[in-house]
This record gives sequence, C-alpha cells and structure tokens, in this order.
Amino acid sequence: LKPRGRSGSIVKVEQIGDRLEEVLDRSAYVNINADWVNAKGAWLIHVVLICVGKLIIDTIPGMTQQVSWTLVNLIYLALTYLMFHWVTGIPFENDLHGGAYDDLTLWEQIDDGAQYTPAKKWLLGVPIALFLASTHYTNYNPWLFAVNISALVFVLIPKLPQLHRRRVRFIHDYASGVATPVTP
Amino acid sequence: MSSTTESLNALLASLGQAFDKIPGSAVLVRYVKSSHQNDPGRTVLEVILIIFAIFTLLQSRTRGNDGRHFIKFEDKEIDELVDEWTPEPLAAPLNAFEASDLAAVPIIVGHNGPKPTLARQPTKMIANLASYNFTGLAGKEVIKERAIETLRKYGLGSCGPPGFYGTLDVHMTLERDIADFLGTEAAIIYSQGFSTISSVIPAFCKRGDIIVADRGVNFTIQKGIQISRSTVRWYDHNDLKSLEDVLDSVEKERKKRRGPLTRRFIITEGIFEKDGAMIDLPKLIELKYRKKYRLILDESISFGTVGRTGRGLTELYNVPATKVDILIGSMANGLCAAGGFCAGSQHVIDHQQINGPSFVYSASMPALLAVSASEGIDILRSSPSILTKLQQNIRVARTILDELDCISVPSHPASPIIHLHIRKPTPTLLHPSSAVSAGHSLKPSNPTSVLPREAVNWDWDTDAEERALQQVVEEALRRGVMITRAKRLRGQEMVEARPSIKLALTSELSTDEVKKAVKVVAQALKDVLRK
Repeated sequence: LKPRGRSGSIVKVEQIGDRLEEVLDRSAYVNINADWVNAKGAWLIHVVLICVGKLIIDTIPGMTQQVSWTLVNLIYLALTYLMFHWVTGIPFENDLHGGAYDDLTLWEQIDDGAQYTPAKKWLLGVPIALFLASTHYTNYNPWLFAVNISALVFVLIPKLPQLHRRRVRFIHDYASGVATPVTP
Repeated sequence: MSSTTESLNALLASLGQAFDKIPGSAVLVRYVKSSHQNDPGRTVLEVILIIFAIFTLLQSRTRGNDGRHFIKFEDKEIDELVDEWTPEPLAAPLNAFEASDLAAVPIIVGHNGPKPTLARQPTKMIANLASYNFTGLAGKEVIKERAIETLRKYGLGSCGPPGFYGTLDVHMTLERDIADFLGTEAAIIYSQGFSTISSVIPAFCKRGDIIVADRGVNFTIQKGIQISRSTVRWYDHNDLKSLEDVLDSVEKERKKRRGPLTRRFIITEGIFEKDGAMIDLPKLIELKYRKKYRLILDESISFGTVGRTGRGLTELYNVPATKVDILIGSMANGLCAAGGFCAGSQHVIDHQQINGPSFVYSASMPALLAVSASEGIDILRSSPSILTKLQQNIRVARTILDELDCISVPSHPASPIIHLHIRKPTPTLLHPSSAVSAGHSLKPSNPTSVLPREAVNWDWDTDAEERALQQVVEEALRRGVMITRAKRLRGQEMVEARPSIKLALTSELSTDEVKKAVKVVAQALKDVLRK
C-alpha cells in the first residue's frame, strides 16, 4: 500500500544547487559563452540592433508610431528574455565543461554569478531606457501602455539578484524537480 | 500660519531661480513636460522605473557564487595565521599499526614463484598463496625466453602514448589475439590494469547518463563512476532481484520526470575482487536485453582463471562474448603480463582510441610485456589441463577451509581468490534482529545510497580484525606458507570492506602441496583466532 504522493503546488520556486563536481568542472576552463557580454562592442550592439529594427519596422506600410514602438519594445524584450533567461546550457565548447552548465541560464553564467556587475547593469538599463524613450516619443493609448509596461516588468523580474538560480515552476508533478537526478 | 507659507513660497521661488541658472535646465524642463504629456499616472510609473534603475546602477558588485566560500579576514588575523603556519612533512610519520605493517612485508630473494625464498627465513617456503599466479604463467621458461628476445629487439619502453608513436606491431598482435581468444570483434589494450576500467567508464558514461552498479564493486570502478559524473543507482551485492527492482525504479523515475531517454549502463564484475563472489551471467544478460541496458563487465579476476581454457565467465556459462557490450579484463592478473584490455564491438574499441583517457594520455606498455601476454594466451589456448588443475586445487582448498568454524568464506566455490572473514559468534535465533542479520533484508534498499540497508548492522571492529588477521599471516609465514591480508585503502572507498585474508590459488602447486599449505593456514587460523 503506497502512500499518496504530495500534491504539487500551483506555483513553486526552487533553487538550483551545486555539487562539488559541478563547481570543479565549471572552474576548469574559461566560459566563452558567458564572457562575450564583457567584450568590445557587445554593449553597443544592443543600441545598433534596436535602431536598425526600428528603421525596418517603420518601413512596413501602414505602421503608426505607437505600434512601431510597441513592436520594437516587445520584440527586443522577447529576444533578450529568450537568450538570457530561458535557454539553459552552453552552445559552444560544451566538451570542456562536460555539462556543468546545463542547468544555468546565460544570465546566471555571466561573471560567475556575481551580481551588479557592469554587464548586468547595462543589460538591465537598456530595456528601461528603451521603454522610457518610447513613452517620450509617442503618446500610447492606455492599452498599449499597459502591454509595454507589463512586458518590461516581466523581463526585469528574472534579472533581480533575489531570483538568481531560482526557477518558478507552474503545476509540476514530481517531488524533486531538478532536471537531472543528483546522487548524494 | 501665513508667515510659514510665505517663507515657503519665497524658498521655492529662490530654488526655481537657482535652477534656471544651471545650464541645460531648460532642456530638461522641456523633456519632462513633453514626456509627461499631461498624464500624472504614467509619469509616476516612469519615475518609479527611473528610481529603480538609478538604485540598481549605484549598487556595488558582489562576489561570484554568492560569496559562499569567502571569509573576510582582518590584517591581524592574517598575520596570526601566517605566523602559526608550519609546513606538513612530505612523508607523514607512520602510526604504530602502519609501521608494524610495513615491517611485516616479506622480502623475496630471487624470483617470485609458487615456492619463493624469503629474506627473513632462509629455508624454502612451502607455498606462495599470496601472489596472483593463477595459471602459473609467471615462471614459464617459454615466456621468459620470448620476452628476452623482444627486449633485445625493441628495447624496454615504448616511449609514448599509443596514439603518438607508442603503438608497436606487438601491441596490435596482442589486441588481435585477445579479440580472437574471447570471440569479440576487437580489443584495445591499456598499459595499467588499475586504470583500465576507470578510463573505460568515463569514455562511455557522461553527465546525465544512468549507471546501475553493484554495491560491492572494487575501488577502480568506484573511481571511474565518480569521474564520469553520471547518475548512479546502486543495487544489493550480487543480487539480481534487487537489480531488477532498481532498473524498474529508474524507469519509473524517468517517466515521472518526463525526461528524454539517456544511455543506461549496468556495471558489475565477473568475480568480485572484494569477496570472490561470482555473478550469474546468463540471467544478467537476459535482464539487460529485457530492460535495454548496456553491460560493462569487469572480468579482472575471472579472465584467465575460469572457463575451460580460461576465457572467463563467458566460456564458463557458454555465453557468446559478443553479448557483453563492454568486457574488461586484466592481463596483469590473468596472464601475468601487465595492463588491461577492453573487448567489444569495433565501434566500442574505435571510440576508446580517442576518448579513453588512459589510452590517450598514458604510455603504452613495453613490448616485452605485450609479447608475454600473447604467449600466455597461446599457452592457455593449447593446454586446458592448467585450468582443470587450478579448479582441482581450488576445490581441495575449499574443502579444508569450509570445515573451519572460526571463519566464513564469502567466495564462490569456483573462484580462484578465496576471502576469509573472521566469523562472529552467531546470535541466538530467538533474537529478533537475527532475522535481519541472517542476510535477507525485510525492505528493499535505497538505490541512491551506496550503503546497503544492512550497513546499520555492521559492527565489526576493523582495527582489531586487521590485527588478528595480521597475526594469522605472520603465524602462517613462520610455518612456511606465504599468505596476505586483503590490502585496502581505508577511508577512500565508498563502502568500507570487511578485513579479510585473500588466498590466491595457483595451478603450479600440486594438489598435495596445496592441501598441506591450506592445512597450515587453517591451523594458523585456529591457533590465533581461538585465543
């Protein structure tokens, strides 16, 4: 007679922990997948891509300024969220680290997990500056304003240091939710 | 009241004038006016955002990994720590037991063999039951002559890893010989027996793969599993029912997690080096095919010692060696040469030529040892009488040892290494705990823990038993039989092994000599342990 398993909560925040072997495998080589945010031109490229994107979107016939700025905002937020906070693991030089980064997003890999580094400050400032510029240059109707600001807040949440190495899970069944089962 | 408001107004007016004097203030005022757009609600939200951004920009940088391992020392504390530091000696002084252990190691004069001469006792020994010389290949003249020929032709060392000018034609001949002997597609040689399986496991098992291993596997396999970073689940020692339960639980775990199908391996030994138990190979193979796992079988002890011509467990159970995915053996133990090998399909071997750490980074074995191993295989192939003699000797030894009631023998009757544990006085059968300690646990053990459920009942005194067994060894040495305790790395293995005496039988001694020697051992055991 097996006891009934614990029912999962609707929303659960769980911490990604570290085993000694993972720390060792991470510190063996430099992680080029996370170091590029400190390289030359990595900051300016955000501005360049946003301007280019705005220009391209403006060429679509029948585009109003409100919709154009909203689109630029939303596409930038979506792509940066996907890149920094959704995908985990590393695409390049995977063999050097042997899967030690498989549970970490790019944001958590930057600067070995230090908070408030220059790169992170820049990456947090750019969406805010983009939003403020967009509200300055157009007059949003209330709906678009709401959409924009909620998207911005949604993307700012995982950048907070309180959410470092924490995952918010919705309606998960299993008791131990970490992706790879760990041995004690 | 009016005077305070008047003075407040005057203050604000003077502030406004001062502000207007700052260059660029008009731009700022214009920007804020056009941003505000007569909507105070939005402006409040934007101001909150700006304050948050400025707050974040002003924070100072923290340490990586939450600064968990960083302790901030004061200068005075640093000075104190530096002053009181003394370097540890290069060689730590031995404690009393270690020192006596070192002094008790026998020194052999001349060459080792079934009847060596010791430095301490000039009279010849009756028997050597300590060295691994199962099929007597260690002293064969044929092998010695061929080795000397090879030494004259190739020199001693091979001067390089196998992938970098270290492979000689004799190595390739040996690999072919091993593959032919066992009946697999191909084989690959490693230059040290210890590092063979601890290289093979990480070559195939990576982080995220599942390994189901026996709790009694030897130290090398434990190290290999640790290096591989795979997920390990343990099953009870030599218990196929427990293995099946663990395989089922792994599958259930994976289904619950809805994870992808990863590579899965079962790792076990043919004859366990820890206690001499032998596995049931046909059942294990049937289980692995049913549950779709790959089998890594470590035949370090059983290769060259069991089976009609010494091919190992596959010959003994009449199972084709191609059914075992990765078969590892030791030429140091079985063929009295050096090193180890891994046999399997061509893909398995090709993968190891690039990905086996010991193959890539260690030097290949000297040519003369490769030739000795090849000769050893020829001898085994052509004279199965050696194996029958070995099995006869084992049987004779076991009949004498099984009669003793001061020791228990966990080894399989056909195993060439015989472990002797000190038998504890059995508890009265009325005691309820005896049901558990009788060997069959009531609940299944936890697969994630390397210790079995009975580990809480393990209460042997390691030091006392080691000392008692060392006395037995010295007593037997005085009477002319060289035996040894099983030497373990205390504190380094995942599961501490019970202290034991490890007898290694050999076919070089005649049955009468074995009988005499084992009787001496039995007498020594009785004399020391009865006290």
